[in-house]
Amino acid sequence: MKTLWFHLMPYPGLDERFDREAKSVWVDLDRSYFDSSVVTRSYHEYLDQLEYAAAAGFDGICVNEHHQSAYGTMPSPNLMAAALSRRAPDAAIVVMGNSIALYNPPTRVAEELAMLDHLSEGRLVAGFPVGTAMDTCYCYGIQPGQLRQRFAEAHELIIRAWSEAEPFAFNGRYHKLRYVNVTPRPLQSPRPPVWIPGGGSSVETWDLAVRHDYVYAYLSYYGYEQGKATMDGFWEYATSRGLDDNPYRAAFLQFITVAETDAEARRLYKEPVEYFYRRCLKIPPGYAGAPGYQSEATFRSKLSSQVRKAARDVGSEPPTFDQIVDRGWVIAGSPDTVRERLEQSIGDLRFGHLLCLMHIGNMSDELTKMNTKLFAEKVMPQLRNRWPGYEDKWWPEACM
Amino acid sequence: MHVIYLHSLAGNPGLSPALEQLTASGIEVVAPTLPGFDGTSGWEPPHDHLTWLTRVWDVLDSTGALPCPVIGASIGGMFAAELAIFRPESVTALSLLAPLGIWAGESPAADPYALPGAQRLPLLFASEVPQAFEDQYAAFGEGGDVARYLAQVAGASLVWPIPDRDLDTRIHRIRQRNRILWGGRDRIAPVEVAMRWSSVSEPTIIESAGHLLEWDEPDAVGGALLEFLDEERQRPAV
Repeated sequence: MKTLWFHLMPYPGLDERFDREAKSVWVDLDRSYFDSSVVTRSYHEYLDQLEYAAAAGFDGICVNEHHQSAYGTMPSPNLMAAALSRRAPDAAIVVMGNSIALYNPPTRVAEELAMLDHLSEGRLVAGFPVGTAMDTCYCYGIQPGQLRQRFAEAHELIIRAWSEAEPFAFNGRYHKLRYVNVTPRPLQSPRPPVWIPGGGSSVETWDLAVRHDYVYAYLSYYGYEQGKATMDGFWEYATSRGLDDNPYRAAFLQFITVAETDAEARRLYKEPVEYFYRRCLKIPPGYAGAPGYQSEATFRSKLSSQVRKAARDVGSEPPTFDQIVDRGWVIAGSPDTVRERLEQSIGDLRFGHLLCLMHIGNMSDELTKMNTKLFAEKVMPQLRNRWPGYEDKWWPEACM
Repeated sequence: MHVIYLHSLAGNPGLSPALEQLTASGIEVVAPTLPGFDGTSGWEPPHDHLTWLTRVWDVLDSTGALPCPVIGASIGGMFAAELAIFRPESVTALSLLAPLGIWAGESPAADPYALPGAQRLPLLFASEVPQAFEDQYAAFGEGGDVARYLAQVAGASLVWPIPDRDLDTRIHRIRQRNRILWGGRDRIAPVEVAMRWSSVSEPTIIESAGHLLEWDEPDAVGGALLEFLDEERQRPAV
């Protein structure tokens, strides 16, 4: 079992004025809600926390990409990964990832990730998410109906740019390049492991992961109980197409808070957890419904993303900490409680990469590190041998 | 006499009462459904504007109605203007009802896609949404939701992220006799956008109408179109 530490880098200073007046945490949030000194301090604390997690023994540390948002203040995960690659010398650097449909030409992503692979001495995992509708369609102006075509073309170009020995011409629908010759190529050969993160159920995302033998990473913020249907869907899709059931084909993100006792966990984590679910998911329904963002097949299947769920919930009373824990959105409690619930979730959902989200909402630096330390010392060792006999073929060799 | 009518962002739910005035006066209205708006499964938006134009021209040519006067509303107005610019021999007269394709950045245009799906359609009208739009995909039965979604995908692809397709760089090439009508309460393309068309001809503002003015004010729009087309009717056939 691989255990990874994942940071969203949320803005921690949203207040009651945000609750009362702001329409959305994403896309068009007024800059008056941001204090620059908080942003500066947070970036350094957040990088410290990722480095702390690597030192505590997590197998990998993860960064991701969001735009124009207080949900996640990391428009460029590659910048953060570059900073981490020299200060966290052993852990895999998991960029989860670059929304490749947004970049013109996408060879820029191929170049930056190749640089990161060298900086980290072959410890890079490259994540290619389609991206949320807010990030891609509303903030970056991509036509929703083109998003997946652009993604597919960018994916093909990046993989070829990494793999082909000779310079080549690329004649895509959206990108026409006479000379593709990315320099340097990645250190890992033929390329870094590729993971496909997704925030919901999409037939196309499963298909991409299955066709190319990539890891499917479900970035759920509604926990393992609600994630089961999505993960079951993925496994059914994968096995029906002839793939084996190696659990390392899958990754799952789980919010986790650990304390010495269940009661202590409630006392310590109530505020930051409620901050996240009350403020960081304040997304108006319009932003979750860009026509064309869902393919026809996904629309017909009535699969729904968790962003749509969050948007549907806006306006209703935010859930309390107890409700959040009862629903399994956050696994909270003593080390024994957390281990027990994680073991159940790992088995039920069948995944070999656990993405632990341990800084939540406006959690303090001190509390985040305590959470991380307790987990690393008292929970992680019990999970490590969960999948004996299975080989993780989607992990950087330098981190084996 | 016949004319072509190109429909709006909201699809092709049948002739508006304004266009029915034309048919009542003996003018045949040919109203093809634009690509993507008919709910056909498997349709994907063209990747660029030129490919969109080509697909629309394929549809128009298949009607056999060109050359003739062309009326276009909203995105249909944009396509009508492009036809007049790129294929001037196909358009004998041009009437534009709040055409999209030009953006006035300083004006407070609403973004329908920032609203939940159910609130988008009402944004196009100053009055109630006509029943014809609600019933547009009823023939699909249970598949109506999918057909409506695909039509929305087509519409969004024509106006995303903002309804500007650089038409302002080309409209000086419109040479046909033309008439431009605009709703004074248009929230998609506010009247400031209408002023960007004044080099083509002075827009007539119908104060109480929204973006789909031929539905909001059928008498005013129908009357103006009849008056405009009467001159064409009196023109001797070539």
